[in-house]
Order: sequence, then structure tokens, then C-alpha cells
Amino acid sequence: MTAVPTFSPLSYTNILPRKSEHRIALIRWLVLVCSVLSFQTLQAAPLKVSLALSEEREVYRAFESALRDSLDAHQEIQILPSGNVAQAELIVAIGAQAANDFRGSSIPVLNVMVSRAGLEKIGRDSNSGSSGIYMDQPMARRFSLLRAALPQTKSVGVLISNESPQLAAAKQLSSASGYRLHIQTVATPDHLASSLSALLADSDVLLVLPDAEIYRSDTIRNILLESYRQQVPMIGLSQNYVRAGALCAVYSTPLQIAEQTARVVAQFAKTGKLPDYQYPHEFEVSVNTQVARSLGLTIKSAEQLRIEIGGNP
Amino acid sequence: MLPLISKAQAADELDSEQAFFLELPVVLTASRLTQPVDEAPNAITIIDRQMIKASGFRRIPELLRLVPGMYVGSQNGHSMFASYHGTTDNFSRRMQVLVDGRSVYLPPYSMVIWDDLPVLLEDIERIEVIRGPAAASHGANSTQGVINIITREADNFVPNEVTVRQGGNGIKDASMTFARRGESFSQRLSAGYRADGGYDLPQFTDDNRTSMFNWRTAYHPNGEDAFDFQTGYSQSVRGDGIVGRNQAPDRNLLTEHDYAQLIWTRALADGAEWQLRYHYTHSAYDDDQVSYYRDGVNLYPKVNVQTRRHDIEAQHTASWSTGHRLVWGGGARLDGVSSTSLFYYHPAPTLRQWRVFAHDEWRMQHDWLLNVGAMWEDDGMGHHNVSPRVALNYHFTPNHTLRIGASLAYRNPAVIEEYGNTDPLTPGGFLASGGLQPERMLAREIAYLGHFPETGWMVEARLFSDHLRGQIYLDPLRNASGGFNNASFKNLYLVRYSGWEGSLKYQQEGNALTVNFSRQQAACEADGLPTWISDTRVKGWFDEWLRQCPKAVPTNAGSVLAEHHLTQTLAISAGYYYQDEVQVLDAQRPQTFMHRMDIKITRSFGKRGVASGGEVALVMQNMFRDTHTEYANLPQQGYPSLDRRAYLLATFLY
Repeated sequence: MTAVPTFSPLSYTNILPRKSEHRIALIRWLVLVCSVLSFQTLQAAPLKVSLALSEEREVYRAFESALRDSLDAHQEIQILPSGNVAQAELIVAIGAQAANDFRGSSIPVLNVMVSRAGLEKIGRDSNSGSSGIYMDQPMARRFSLLRAALPQTKSVGVLISNESPQLAAAKQLSSASGYRLHIQTVATPDHLASSLSALLADSDVLLVLPDAEIYRSDTIRNILLESYRQQVPMIGLSQNYVRAGALCAVYSTPLQIAEQTARVVAQFAKTGKLPDYQYPHEFEVSVNTQVARSLGLTIKSAEQLRIEIGGNP
Repeated sequence: MLPLISKAQAADELDSEQAFFLELPVVLTASRLTQPVDEAPNAITIIDRQMIKASGFRRIPELLRLVPGMYVGSQNGHSMFASYHGTTDNFSRRMQVLVDGRSVYLPPYSMVIWDDLPVLLEDIERIEVIRGPAAASHGANSTQGVINIITREADNFVPNEVTVRQGGNGIKDASMTFARRGESFSQRLSAGYRADGGYDLPQFTDDNRTSMFNWRTAYHPNGEDAFDFQTGYSQSVRGDGIVGRNQAPDRNLLTEHDYAQLIWTRALADGAEWQLRYHYTHSAYDDDQVSYYRDGVNLYPKVNVQTRRHDIEAQHTASWSTGHRLVWGGGARLDGVSSTSLFYYHPAPTLRQWRVFAHDEWRMQHDWLLNVGAMWEDDGMGHHNVSPRVALNYHFTPNHTLRIGASLAYRNPAVIEEYGNTDPLTPGGFLASGGLQPERMLAREIAYLGHFPETGWMVEARLFSDHLRGQIYLDPLRNASGGFNNASFKNLYLVRYSGWEGSLKYQQEGNALTVNFSRQQAACEADGLPTWISDTRVKGWFDEWLRQCPKAVPTNAGSVLAEHHLTQTLAISAGYYYQDEVQVLDAQRPQTFMHRMDIKITRSFGKRGVASGGEVALVMQNMFRDTHTEYANLPQQGYPSLDRRAYLLATFLY
């Protein structure tokens, strides 16, 4: 810092008569100050991230809290007080409602805790500055679980109300794996019963595809009872399905998704770029051993299955 | 009208990720999940809907011919009785019979009047038969086994059904089921009528008709609680007796049976649950012998029996530590009987019975399973019994299991055996002197179960040794001064049953085969003496009983049921039943060798199991006119036998 002595009042006085020199020094000083300030900004000003929750919901709160814990380790990231979106450099939109609220936002958005189908409805392609982590497991992973848990399977049944990307993936994977895929479309709810009976009669396993018109808390009872009655195991979507009576499910916990989110946010802080939409990397497998036994199925443990389908040991 | 769609439309379109967070009730609770047959502490035979339909049988006890070791007899065209290991009279007293958990094994005779049960064949989901004592899990009096009839729940996803049967011997059945399923409340109504002309013998009066209805509801106010309410009624008119006879004249029996049952199940965390059950049963039996006059004299008194039962039970199922599943609970029962003809001098006391039970399933290791349980009961007659059971199942490979088990069970004396005092005009009347001890059963077995999932075969075989001590039977001359009523009851015999039995099952692509076989023998000895054994007639009777007793078990018996789908819409099923000669204890003469074949040809239309589908079928029973005779306990001209008969069946699903 050779310029520093010129700032001393003494030297200032000394050079006072030399006007041109004075002007040059001032510019030099301003440049220096600016450069120092801007250098400091690049080094220390943290990335301002705003977390936007769709609504007050236990599962979102749990995710938010897990995400805050994960982000705490990153000093380059600053979480803005809730509601402060205007100053944010990245918005983490938690849930579908938040994803919809920030659709087309000029600030980059990372959508989490949202299904692929939900994001596609919103139309994620309209905002090129956004990315996300799906709630869904990749269909290939669900098929790996099916193969590992029920190696005897020949035919897979799915119940749908509409065509969906999941169905397309299931079709593709079934033919690749040599399964017969039975697709039963439920036209109206009155047909749910008969559609299900007919489907189960032809299926070795019932694979649940996310479908809010079919799998609901008020219909799950009849669906599970009927599949149990016909001795057809169900592969669910979450741990709740397994608790209710599904044979098994592969799913990611809010904590696992929060950690993956934190990694994406940190990457954005470093590079200024969001990666492409992605599926959860870490996952759990849950097995209802009582149901397995009652159906006379010999099934590996949840941990064995998790490792077998590519989970980290 | 369209709750699902309207809700879905109202729901936020964006909510698709809710599929992953959906809060769901525990549906397959511990009590709903049946123990797989290779983990159960007993031998279990399951007769499912497919078998029921394939068999072409119209009555529940007939279906029990598909259980290895089960003797099924019929006193006439309608009054049937079933007894595991045979050695019975027409009052089969040693099997517990449950309909959806409700015991229909009723006083005063401690038997089941099958034709009275308000259970439509079309309502039956499956019949689970436990071969061997199971008091620890199924309550008192499951001495030789348990028959558990499980009917369809109100919210079962099955289409409504209309079924009609019509054919030879006056077969005329009709039934209809109607269900309405809602989000939290569902109901199912079923009604039916069954009638036929009984056996062909002209002197036999056994035409019969039974009407019944059931109403069942399921209510799920939330994810934890479920209420299952059932009520039903049946009424039956059955011809009985023999034309032109003094004893057992031809007349009509009128019976009624009504019940109500409420089951409240609450699911708890970690798969545990509470269940509270209450049921009420009333049955009335009216044998109008009074209408029979001869020469202006009323020869026989009217037999009228009214039975009322109240039963309440609480049960808790939980996994109390890793590898353990415990079912425990207790119950109380009130049994009241009134009958002026059976309790002529003194009314029968109302029995207040209590029980507590616990059963633990302990998975000691992955391939070792120990089932331990016991029940304590107070039978209301002053007896306190403990019925323990222990069974060890070893899966030496995941699909092959060995089971070794032992259990102790009791049969409490029937009300009539302990307290009966009949109208002196009743033929064969008695005056029970009381003081009976419960019959005591010690059962031991070794069993093998194999499952071959690739080929669709299942095998089960077991060796058994059952000792029934203190068997209660008639003490023919107890009251020398009792006038007409000189008989009583006494613990008289010890019967040792031994043998082996097995079944083979195959199921693949809708085709199915079941083969059952049993080979058994009974060794009978005295376990007490009749009061007047010094009397030569009594001595002769007693010795004769001991001589006949081993013949009361058919040495070889078996059944085969096969179903084959010839095309998508055409199926043929065949049932073959055989049984060695058997002398039922109170029959006049032995039943001859049975060699019966039933055929059913079914043509289905529409989509299988879906509304607007259905089937028409032709059923031929005793296709090859086998001439075996049935049970008969009256001297008569000719013995009842089933001649070939055929009926047509039509089922429409709507």
C-alpha cells in the first residue's frame, strides 16, 4: 500500500500547491476505496436466500427447520427473515403453492417438496431461471425395489384416473423389465370398486402412482382391504402407506431432501447457477413385515433392500 | 353422488405432492392380518370363495367335507352335523363355531344348528377351520377345533349379487345382496331363501325352507376407530319325523335365530390395537309334537327351547418387544335357556361365564417361532379351567416349516347334561344328576408345511395324537325310581385318537386343486362306570358302546376338489368325496362306504367379478349315483341316501 502516506495531513499540505497532482491522487484514492469496498463485497456479502412456505403445515415446517440447520454450516449463505423476498437472490419455494406463487419470478427459484406432476402443471419451462428437487422417486428406483422385494412378480397393476408422466415411465420400465403392466382407468368414483377388483384379479402387485383422485385418505381403506383380500401386495409412495398396510415403499425424508437442497443452494452461491431439476439422491426403504408375513411373502429387510437398490451403505 | 370426483375437483389442482405426505389410517391392523398357515400354532384349513363356488354345495356343513379328518353327517335332508375325528352322535358337541367371531355354539345342547344360522353362502368370504384345540385364541369349548365363518364386510369392494338356484328335489334358493359404500359409512344388506324337499325317501318328512336377512354396517369416523355392526334374523320350517310313526311322528320344526353384534376397533401407534366386542344371540326352537294325536291321546309334549346369550369381550394386540406379538384380553358371557319340556321340574340356571386369555407369538430368530398361550375360564357351573397351548414352528427353509405343538382344552358340560330334567312324557327322557366334570382334551402333533411358489403347490401333513378324557355320555340307568326319566349323564370314556392327515393344494392361473386325506383310528376305554354297572343290561350297553366306539371314526376319508378353466368363459369343477364305513354313536346301523362325485359346469359372461357380469351353471350332485347311506337313528324302512340330483344356478352381478 504505497499510496497510504499521501493521505497524511502533513503530506497533503506539502503537495497542496500542485493542483494536477492533487486531482490524480484523489481519483487514485477513490478508485482504491471503491476497489477495496467492492473486493470486500465479493468476499464476504452472503447470498441472500428467502425460504417461502406454501402454507403452515407440519411437513413444510419440518423441512424448513431441517434446511435451516443444513444451511447454518454455510457462512456464504444468509437466510432472510421470512417474507423478505424483494432482497432475495434465491428463493427456495417449499411446496406447490409457493412454486406457483413465484412462477415467472425474476429472482431464481429452487422448488422443493413438490411433485414432478405438480411442477409440470405449473409449467416449469416458462421460467428458465428456476430449478427444483422432486418429491417423487425416479420410477426406475421404484421398479428396482419391486424387483428386489418381489422377485416372483410377473404382472404389475396400476390404477389411474389420467395419463401422467409416471404412467409413461412405468410403461417403459415394465416392458424393459419384462413385466406385464395392467392399467385400469377409473372413469368415475363409482367404478373404483369394480375397477380395482378387476385389476387385482390380473395383478401380482399393485403399484401406487401418485393420483389425488384415487389414493386419498378416505379411499385408501377400501383399496388396501381389497388388495389384502385378493392377496395382492401394494407398493406405496411413503412411509405412511407402509404403516397403513402397503408392503413396502421407497421414499425420501424431509431431512434428506433438505440436505440435498442445502447442497444445491451452496452450489448456487458459488457458481451463480442452478443445476437442472433433479430427483432425491438419498432415500429410505420401509417394509411392513407383518403384512409380508400374513401374505406369506419372504421379503428382505428394509436395509438390505435399500442397499440393493443403490442406497448408500 | 360422486364424492371422489367432486372432492378432487374442489381440491387444489396443485396439491399433487400431497400424495407423498398423505396421512393414512392404519388399515391392515394386527387383528385383521391373519397369521399365515405356516406360522400358526395349529393346523388350519381355509375354504375360500373360489372353493365354495366350485363345490356346488348349498349348505355350510357340507363344505366341511373339504376339511381333512372332518366327519359330516346328516340326520335328514337338512339337519347336518360335523365333527372332527368323528366319534359323535347327532349332537356334535366338541367344535367351537364362530360367525365373524360370534360363537353360535349354543346351549342347551352345546351344538350348532346349522340350518338356523342367518348366514348366506353368498356372504361368506372364507371359512377357517382350526384342526385341534385352540382355546388360547378362540375361547372355551374349542375342544377339537374351531370353525370360523368369515362373512363379507359392509365396505368390501364387491359388486351386488343376485343368485337363483332351481332344480331337483324341490331345490329353490334365491339370494340378493345390496351394498352402499361411502367415505366413512357403508352398509350391506343381504337376504335369501333356501328350500328343498330333503331326501327322496317318501316316508321321510324332511322338506325344509329357511329365510334370512342380514344387515351390516361399517363406520370409520376417523383414522383410528372403526365400528362394525351386524344384525340378522332367520326363520326356518323343517319337516321332521317319519310318516305313520308314534315315536318321532312327521311334523314341522319351527326355528328362529336372531343376533346383533358390535365390534369397535381402535388402532394405536405401532400397529397395536384395542378391540371391544359385544354380541347378543337369541334362538328359538319349537318342535310342535303336540299336534300329533293318536286315538285322541296327546302322546308327546311340545318341545320349545329359547336360548339367549350376551357376550362381551375386550382384546388388546401389541408388539410389546422386538419379535413379540401379544394378544390378551378377557370376556364375560351370560347364557340363559328356558324350556318347559327340557327343564320340567327345575329351570336351568343362567350361566355367568368369565374368561381371560393371552397369546404370545415370539419370533425367537428369523426361522424359529414360538406360540405360547393360555386361557383361564370360569364356566359358570363351578369349574375353573386353564387351557394352555404351545407350538414351535421352525422354518428350515423360508418355504418349508416343521411344527411341533401340544395343547390342553376343555369341553364344559352342556346345560342339558348338567341340569336337564325332561318332561316325563318325553321319549328317552332324563333327569340329570349333575356333578359332571369338563371333558379334557390333550392334543399333540408334529406337522410339515411346504410351499412351492414357482409351481403353485402347497403341502401340509401332520401326525396327531389326541386324548379326550372324561367324555360325557348317557348314564342309562341312574335314577332307578325316576319313572320314565331314569337316565342321566356321566363322565364315562377315554378316547385316544391317532393318525395322520394331509392336504395338497395347487393354484395357478385360476385353475385350482385341493386334495385332502385323513387316516385315523380311535381307541376307547372306560374312564368311569355307569351307576348301575351291576345291572346286566347296563353292563351290556356299556360294553357295546366301547365296542362300537372305534367304528365311530372313518378309518380313511378324503376329498378332492378341482377347478379347471377350459376357456375364458367356460369352467368345469369336480368334487370327489369318500369315506370308509362309519358307525355314528347313536345311529341304528353303520353308514356305508361313500364314494360321491359332484360336477359343476359354469359358463360366465361379462367381465369376471365386475358388475353386469355373472354366470350360469349346472350342478350335478352324486353324479354316478353312489348308493352310500347317511346317518339314521330311527328304525325305518330304507335309509336316507342322496340320489343323483341336479340344479341350475344363475348369478348376476349388478
